[in-house]
Amino acid sequence: MSLATQAALRTVLDAAAADFVVSTCGYPSRDLQAVGDRREHFYLVGSMGMAAPVALGVALTHPDRRIVAVDGDGSVAMNLGCLPMVAASGAQLVHVVLDNGLHESTGGQATVRPLDLPALALAAGYRSARTVEHLDELAALTFDATPALVHIPCAPRTAAIGARIRLTPAQLVARARAALDVPDPEENA
Amino acid sequence: MFTTADRASAAALLVTSGLHADTPSHPARARLADAPSVVLDAFREVGYTFASGVPCSLLAGLFAALERGDSGIEYVAAPREDCAVGVATGALLAGRPSFVLMQNSGLGYCLNVITSLNMIYGLALPLVVSWRGRHEDAVEHDVIGARLPDLVASLGLAFIVLDPDRAAACVGEVVDRACSTRLPAILAVDANAKL
Repeated sequence: MSLATQAALRTVLDAAAADFVVSTCGYPSRDLQAVGDRREHFYLVGSMGMAAPVALGVALTHPDRRIVAVDGDGSVAMNLGCLPMVAASGAQLVHVVLDNGLHESTGGQATVRPLDLPALALAAGYRSARTVEHLDELAALTFDATPALVHIPCAPRTAAIGARIRLTPAQLVARARAALDVPDPEENA
Repeated sequence: MFTTADRASAAALLVTSGLHADTPSHPARARLADAPSVVLDAFREVGYTFASGVPCSLLAGLFAALERGDSGIEYVAAPREDCAVGVATGALLAGRPSFVLMQNSGLGYCLNVITSLNMIYGLALPLVVSWRGRHEDAVEHDVIGARLPDLVASLGLAFIVLDPDRAAACVGEVVDRACSTRLPAILAVDANAKL
């Protein structure tokens, strides 16, 4: 069974209403903005493969907060090497992978992806990892054992793709720091 | 690539500077033994408390100090240099001044992250980059060693070569350049300045 991407993202956001979110470039960030833009969303517009490392840096700086990384199957495949780094940190990080088997943002080319991503995450040291195929199951996740990976098989998109990210990168940084209640460190250094 | 003459003159420079003299009591050695803590202290004193990286033998002293865990700087080992830039940039985004350490061979892996994350979001990350291949070195360092300043210049980033006699000042300079430009800035560490 495959979920619709935007419905899956909406359910993840409902389950992670207080969390800070870092999302990968391309359609996932645009869909996240369309589903429910808020200042706790940090959209990557480039640096494919970096959603989880960037989320990890945020999580290690704010250990009291849970941080969600929204990845795609193509972007996580690009940086499987980061999984042991995330796992070793023990950070309060939830790694969500939307998996439609496609590089959809670039026209729907096939991705190169592992046969069993949750097994790979567990082998890397994640404390929990599972495939979730139903929205009610997704809504019920509590993420008690982190770092956690949630693998969500998704159907190719049929709904309109969200608009390009409206804020400039500098505006995204400023509002992320406001959401995290931190000053601009470059100003202080 | 360096010519044979370049290599010979570089090697001669190293010998005359005493850095290759294998005598532990040599003054240059004594000075350099403290260099890793001078560099880390200089970062910490201006608020840098997080670092990530991938090791290089020219930076072995820095990595040893970071791995000991008594530098006052939290250190996360990364599998590849782009991951190091990613995690340090996340910490910087979250309000903690951070820096990255790597061999120059790893700079290529980072180019997309530097250009499509740090440079457009204005996330100013100092990068301590070893300069393998500047002098006589293993063949795999020839090309990047010869091209490193040009590569960095092509991105418009600051490139400061660590002077071991004024290491703290060089750290201050790379931090100032990063923060004032809101771009990554590179502190290059060649074999003369091994940390």
